[in-house]
Amino acid sequence: MTYCVALCNVPRMVDEQLEQSGKLEQDLRKGVLVLAVLSQLTTQQYGYSLRQALIERGMPIEEGTLYPLLRRLEGQGLLQSEWLVDGGPPRRYYVLSADGNRIYQDLTVAWGSLTTVVNRLLQEEN
Amino acid sequence: MKPDDIIESYVDEVVRFLPRRQRSDVGFELRSLLKEDLEGRAAESGRPVDAQATLELLTAFGSPQDVADRYRPAGFTIIRPSNAPRFAWLALGGMALIWAVTLPVSLFGPSQIAGWEYGADAWWGRLIVWWWGAGLGAFWWPGFLFTLTLIAALFERRRGEAKPWTPPRRMDRGPVTRVGMALALAFWTTGAALLIALPWLSVWAPGLPQSVLDAFLFDPEFLTWRAPWILMIWATHFAVYIAVLVVGRWSPLATRISLLVGVGFLGLIAWWLLAGPIFSALVTDGTVKPLLALIALIVVIDIVATVRRSAGAIRPPVA
Repeated sequence: MTYCVALCNVPRMVDEQLEQSGKLEQDLRKGVLVLAVLSQLTTQQYGYSLRQALIERGMPIEEGTLYPLLRRLEGQGLLQSEWLVDGGPPRRYYVLSADGNRIYQDLTVAWGSLTTVVNRLLQEEN
Repeated sequence: MKPDDIIESYVDEVVRFLPRRQRSDVGFELRSLLKEDLEGRAAESGRPVDAQATLELLTAFGSPQDVADRYRPAGFTIIRPSNAPRFAWLALGGMALIWAVTLPVSLFGPSQIAGWEYGADAWWGRLIVWWWGAGLGAFWWPGFLFTLTLIAALFERRRGEAKPWTPPRRMDRGPVTRVGMALALAFWTTGAALLIALPWLSVWAPGLPQSVLDAFLFDPEFLTWRAPWILMIWATHFAVYIAVLVVGRWSPLATRISLLVGVGFLGLIAWWLLAGPIFSALVTDGTVKPLLALIALIVVIDIVATVRRSAGAIRPPVA
């Protein structure tokens, strides 16, 4: 019985660890989401094409997260947008605004220094 | 169901949670993006664009309310995580206190209803009367607390960035100002003596007009059953204050006793307010009761402030 209690809990513990690890990875990705999106908006993109571009470069972002994010970034003045008809249905195209461009440059510098420091920390640990 | 209809109803649901000015624009864009996503998924997997594929896409996208939340800018916090346990204790504790005071009064005190003969005096009849009165009415307290917290949060939000922390003017809150405390004690003792002597007003102030004497006549039942408890509370408070005055500082024990007495006083005031008249004259009773409620509020603020101060005590860890 004691063995069962101990052994039966193992799969649940493994599941919990995996879930926790998944959540932490999600948090990590959330932190760089804005930078990843800004990096792709130096040229005009609409929601679906931006998502495809990010997937192609190995940074998949769920639709439910990306589309509202574009609106929020626009609301914060980092992006500007316009409706365009390009042979298909009308699409809303987003591009970096002047403020967005400046913030993107700042974030890029911050990201560079952050990755350097974190890489050094990880190398020292290993 | 057609995929377009499913998407249409989903988008309608999402925009219902958005501000009116955003609805049309966001709705149009979302509908177009979802259709494109759906076609993209179908092309990648080689499956037809059908109802099942549409539902899979929308399930992955999130519930309409979640999606609407993501479209909105981050809101503001009404109850901070660090305040949440305290808020819960204060809200539920206050309700428990109101119930603890009003339930016995309702069950064992005089029947408070007229014209309802059946069960009016039975325990279940009294319980029903209590529930539809003070029992359910006690929910005003969490609502009141929440409204105050909401107003405070709105002010904080309007003020913008929080002020930088500065140390308090008096680092050690233990010592007391003896002169101030002695004056407060003298003032308070005089007030208590006056109130204790009030039932004998006609004896020590016989010259007063009869109307004044009648106005300050206590309700006999209040005087017999509900009033004497205050003497115990006053005596304990008096003893604690004298001890603090002699020692010159608030010790943890004195603080704890003072807190307990404060809670007891609060319960007694609640009993007085709810159990029946305090003065025989309606006008006096109607004037005194709001003043008592104000005193109760001051006692609550004092208790909260004392608990906040004494909660800061840091003890060394036990190995």
